[in-house]
Amino acid sequence: MFHSSTTSNDVILDVNHVWKIYCRHLKRAMWYGIKDLGREVIGAGQDRTQKDLRTGEFFAVRDANFQVNRGECLAMIGPNGAGKSTMLKMVNGLIKPDSGSIAITGKIGALIELGTGFNPILSGRENIYINAAVLGMKKTEVDLLFDKIVEFAELGHVIDDPIKTYSSGMRVRLGFSVAANLRPQLLLMDEVLAVGDVGFRMKCFSHLNKLVKSGVSIILVTHAVGMLQRVATRSVVFGQGKIVHDGELETGCTIYEEMLGASDRVRAKKKETSGRVAGVGDVEVCNASGQPQLEFETGETIQLRVHLNAQETVKNARLVVALCSPVHGVLSSISTAYQDVRFDVDAPGCVVTLKLPEIPLLIGSYHFNISLLGPETTDFYHRSSLRGVFRIVGPPTDANGYGLNGITKITHGWKVNG
Amino acid sequence: MKTDPGNSNDVPLAIERRESVSDAPDSNLSMGRGEGQDKDQNEEEFAPLQTSDVVTFYDAKSEIRSPVKLIKNIIADFLAGRELAWRLFLRNIRGLYRQTLLGLFWAFLPPIANTAIWIFLKQAGVFDMGEITVNGTVYILSGMILWQAFIDAFQMPLNMLNKNKNMISKLNFPRESLLLVGVGEVLFDLAIRMLLLIPAFLIFQVAIQPTVLLAPIAILALVLLGTALGLLIMPFGSLYQDVGRFIGMVMPFWMILTPIIYMPKTELPGSLLNWLNPASPLLLLARDWLLIGSTEFLSTGLIFAAAVLPVLLLGLIVYRISIPVLVERMTA
Repeated sequence: MFHSSTTSNDVILDVNHVWKIYCRHLKRAMWYGIKDLGREVIGAGQDRTQKDLRTGEFFAVRDANFQVNRGECLAMIGPNGAGKSTMLKMVNGLIKPDSGSIAITGKIGALIELGTGFNPILSGRENIYINAAVLGMKKTEVDLLFDKIVEFAELGHVIDDPIKTYSSGMRVRLGFSVAANLRPQLLLMDEVLAVGDVGFRMKCFSHLNKLVKSGVSIILVTHAVGMLQRVATRSVVFGQGKIVHDGELETGCTIYEEMLGASDRVRAKKKETSGRVAGVGDVEVCNASGQPQLEFETGETIQLRVHLNAQETVKNARLVVALCSPVHGVLSSISTAYQDVRFDVDAPGCVVTLKLPEIPLLIGSYHFNISLLGPETTDFYHRSSLRGVFRIVGPPTDANGYGLNGITKITHGWKVNG
Repeated sequence: MKTDPGNSNDVPLAIERRESVSDAPDSNLSMGRGEGQDKDQNEEEFAPLQTSDVVTFYDAKSEIRSPVKLIKNIIADFLAGRELAWRLFLRNIRGLYRQTLLGLFWAFLPPIANTAIWIFLKQAGVFDMGEITVNGTVYILSGMILWQAFIDAFQMPLNMLNKNKNMISKLNFPRESLLLVGVGEVLFDLAIRMLLLIPAFLIFQVAIQPTVLLAPIAILALVLLGTALGLLIMPFGSLYQDVGRFIGMVMPFWMILTPIIYMPKTELPGSLLNWLNPASPLLLLARDWLLIGSTEFLSTGLIFAAAVLPVLLLGLIVYRISIPVLVERMTA
């Protein structure tokens, strides 16, 4: 036990080069379990490294390194199987790291599954006490909070009925209400925000905001990145067990969206066939002055440079470019034919540039699907998906109704009273 | 892995500063995002957060390397888990009989049914109990009740782990509380079944011996021995279902090998059972104290009773150490 050198007074959680090894093979995992138990019993447990990997094992978390400060709400995002839940389990002390260390200052609480420990036959009142005890609250503490819990859940009228007569939404409300009235220094939440009706969800967000303001630190694991802006201030993005981003929430969400796109990209690449007559070559996203660039702000100019090549000349070619978001799909599809741009693609190839001045897109990750066609509807040469990935990284959007939100900024004006 | 849920006494370097520090409520309160976004006048803000500087630390090192701290942690978790254990115990007991018509009768039924069958077989001359000084029915009934308590305790740790998988794999609470619940349930069932002995003593006119007062010691030791052995097999039972099946298979034979329906043998090779079968000595001692008054098994029983503590401690250590390893392999 020690205070790591980086632990200042404001750091609530310090995750220090943490690695975790898993085994997917069931029989092996059980046998390794017996071995690990043996090692633990004789006290031989120690840091394990790459060379200690046994057959069938892999790193579920690789060298994770991050900190959470007092009163900070951190979003942990990433695709399925990226290591978020494993990380959360280690922070919660359910499983041990295989290497590295985790230091937590103060009381820790977890909302992993709402209503864990509920007994359907018993009344809501009895279950509140049981659930609270499971979460580590004393009876005297619950007595003080009891009315608040019932009121927050809006279940005063049925609190003495057995839980099994409750709807699933009511159970979730009760579970959240008990857990939300816990005030640990660090609160872990795994995919619990996607529950309840919209009204109750809004209430939960507002409650979480208040918790954060009162100094509670929160780690939020979720796939619903759209909701994160309501509470989170920072994001840690996991990809294949590694932390690929630690910092601004918006950038994190964009990277996550991009990772979702990337898995599509791999699939798209596999589908592409070779041996075509003409096709789409390199694609570059550039700024107004023609320099390749990845990150833009809303309102800047973006230029898409598409290299086309051909083995035999394609006369009167058409280019169709679809601007896409991994989450929302095709936002707009643009063709050269629409503006009567005519061009031929011949052997050395050519470059077609699409200029998008004052891009109205808001924060997020975007890409293009590009198709090369001939003059007739049926003259199809090549379609290349998920090309020219770029990000809009600013200015910040606002999900609470004080600014802009969504995917585009549309030109608009307001008028009050006539 | 070292955890100290709420209790900081065993954390050498943790700075005890629990005067409900409200370090800088002002600066904390303004740290939240989007000020002015939650200006709901009707809802009150929270009081400053109660904070503590106790540090919980997790790494790959084995907890057993500092055995004194490990034992301290186990004791601390037993203390911290008392309230939870009581809540869960009440939940289980209340839930157990609320949706039944016969209620507590289900607790009485197995020993009565078992005893009735063996008494019938004895009367039919199928087997010979040996020479006993008390009524055969009371003898078998009390033996059945004690055996049931032992075997309940033996299976309890694995059952508890399986029943509470969901909670164990998702929440960090003092794991020892589950054992308190389990032992509590075993003792509760035992106490209810012991009530059967009252009418049995009256009907069959068994004189009450002063040693009855000693019997609870032997009974408790018997239950704890069952628990300790159960704790030692729990990790294997959790990883491999073969263990559970094996126990289910050998249980009837184990019962027959325990002197429940017959007098213990005093000559070899039959007397070996009194030593080799871990259930025998304490069960015999408890029953002799309960019914007969004098006992030949005082020394054997006491030796086993003395062994309970170290075995139980070992079992608790194995239980605590194994849970993180088992959670990794639980489907949750």
